[in-house]
Amino acid sequence: MNFLMIIKRFSPAQIVFGAAIAAVLLFTLPDVIPGEGLASDQPPPNEGDFVVIGQVKDEQGIPVAGAVVTALTLDGEHILAETECQEDGTWRIFLVEVPQEELQISIQHPRFIPMSLTFRLQELEDLDDLGLFQVGELTLNRDFNAGFYAATLIFIGVLLLIALEILHSTTAALAGMSAVFIVSYVGGLFDPGFFIFTFERGLSYINWEVIFLVMGMMIIVAIIEATGIFQWMAFQAYRLSRGRTWLLVLILIVITAVASALLDNFTTMLLMTPISLQIGLALGIHPISLIIPLILASNIGGISTLVGTPTNILIGAYANISFTDFLVNQTIGVILALIAMSAYILFHYRKEFLKKSAEISPALYQRLEQNARMEDPQNLWKAGTVFILVIIGFILGEQVHLSPAVPAMIGATALLIWLNPDVHQMIIAVDWTTLVFFMALFVVVGSIQEVGLLGLAASGMAELIGDNLPLGIFMIVFGVGTLSTVIANIPLAAAMLPIVQYLTLLIPGAESKVLFYALSMGAAMGGNGTLIGGEANLVTAGITNQTNTPITFKEFLKVGLPVTYITLAIGFLWLLYHF
Amino acid sequence: MDIKILCLTRGGEGSYPNQDRAIAIARERGQDMMFLYISNIKFLDHTAAPKVIDIEAELDELGEFMLLMAQERACNEGVTAHILVRRGFFQKVLSEVIEGFNIETVILGSSSGGTGIITEEFLHDITCELHRKHDVEFIILQEGKIIKTYRVETGDGEYADGQPEH
Repeated sequence: MNFLMIIKRFSPAQIVFGAAIAAVLLFTLPDVIPGEGLASDQPPPNEGDFVVIGQVKDEQGIPVAGAVVTALTLDGEHILAETECQEDGTWRIFLVEVPQEELQISIQHPRFIPMSLTFRLQELEDLDDLGLFQVGELTLNRDFNAGFYAATLIFIGVLLLIALEILHSTTAALAGMSAVFIVSYVGGLFDPGFFIFTFERGLSYINWEVIFLVMGMMIIVAIIEATGIFQWMAFQAYRLSRGRTWLLVLILIVITAVASALLDNFTTMLLMTPISLQIGLALGIHPISLIIPLILASNIGGISTLVGTPTNILIGAYANISFTDFLVNQTIGVILALIAMSAYILFHYRKEFLKKSAEISPALYQRLEQNARMEDPQNLWKAGTVFILVIIGFILGEQVHLSPAVPAMIGATALLIWLNPDVHQMIIAVDWTTLVFFMALFVVVGSIQEVGLLGLAASGMAELIGDNLPLGIFMIVFGVGTLSTVIANIPLAAAMLPIVQYLTLLIPGAESKVLFYALSMGAAMGGNGTLIGGEANLVTAGITNQTNTPITFKEFLKVGLPVTYITLAIGFLWLLYHF
Repeated sequence: MDIKILCLTRGGEGSYPNQDRAIAIARERGQDMMFLYISNIKFLDHTAAPKVIDIEAELDELGEFMLLMAQERACNEGVTAHILVRRGFFQKVLSEVIEGFNIETVILGSSSGGTGIITEEFLHDITCELHRKHDVEFIILQEGKIIKTYRVETGDGEYADGQPEH
């Protein structure tokens, strides 16, 4: 049976998923297999060659890849050898013979001030004796030229386009990515200072682990959502509360927070808003007093797991924080924050919640029950089993450094095979615009990292914080939290990751990754500050508008802002206590 | 089905006064009416978060529930009301329904307090265009009061106090 015959046995959709699984394994297996990777990056030295080695880093101690290292004669007229720094900043130059005079090493990179070092014959004794001369670690200083300003402006432009809703987030990120490459390739023709990075270098900033994890979870969530389990739970909350509004709100808060931790906060609100609106209106409760608490709970609840918020997925993949790590280190803080939030909500809406709810007519009750029915209990059982196995896969995978993307993709494929849903529908369910948004955003954030903006911000923060870890946690929780009230938290978190990484290396005690947890809490809880702070907030407002029950900016602010700072304070205190 | 009056509504507390007025008009005229809910998911356009849910189906169910509540209000007043949920752009769907059901009177309500998305200006713009296309009466309500009517015979908009539109 030849390859084409085998391929013909599968539908295009199955081939796409097969390819996706293969790709995710290809990208992640090198992390699982111990050792130096599948292939060595540099050729071994030839016998008899003289080798000069070194490593180049920036002011923050981050390796500089792609710098051109040249060995020259003292007069600088004759190039003896040339090489490029690897991803870890290391370089090796092979010389045919030991220079008779002094040796000059020149290091150049478009984003850094060129460096030139001269070694005298005396210093090169090792080279003569051992055939190896170690230059050691060199620090290049940033050159803040045209590329720096261009990349910074592009990043700010993308944030503004998203915040002001001038363009769809994905289009804005794509426009930013295109602008980076136009500046690099077209601007670079006129002034080399404009050059930011090559296309290949730009792509290296895309975190494929995030892309595949998000994709796998989308398929799993789409199948679970179709079972109607969360709508059914909301209806049960209504039945259990027996007309006591405060109890109904508390049960719905718990359901929303748990759903948000397992699915994600955005999907949870898409599921919970329509049914909660129906319950609220049928009971004669002002639906906004029911919906706003759910938005707040969804943003907080998602913090406790790796897959609960997009920012957690970013943080987990970047800082290698596992599903269990998030659960163990965040859950109690999240529960405390939810309790405080619920207390504030009960106080704020006390008049509304103490009102006697209206009697619901039999016809409306019947319709409510119908809208909240479980679609297919058999599928729910299967989907639930696979979902639990995926979670177990996340936990067990940590032991062998397996990326969470692998169990997610395997779980998604298993569901497609076991439940046999319409695969084309499932492929439609994968929201490709989100995946493209992430990819383009990674490139844009990569550009500001490449030009040193993030390094500059990291140095500034390091100077302010010094060795004071509690101050570092405070600044990240409240700083990121405050910024997240107005800035889209996904680009913000993506930009903060290298900064937090730098601070983690610098501040004693931060190796526990506490600053990454601070980032997770700040980004998610900050989203509760204003109506535009989170995508879950905006989409919920969009749904309530459909029933002529708008959530105004002011109304949300009155509840959201106090809750934001109460929960940020609790999150900060929890991290301080726990770490 | 002989439906003469069409009332466009989104449900919710803000719509109750307008629904009640539409029901009163139907009762006065002794005609059956229809409540129409149009869902539109354009609000999702600016979000990058994954939309894996069939949100249109969710909104259809939500819309049906809103209309059932309106239908109950009509029933309590002795008026027969039918319900219809449609997806798409406001103006296009409205035009199709007017034509499809041979509607004679269209009742539209603007949001009270200027907080909703269906403002008086918005309704004025689309009503002028629909009125040119369909020879039907349009009644614009706000908080249960008639603020403007577009009559069949004149073709011009007229404010509730009788002042013709300038």
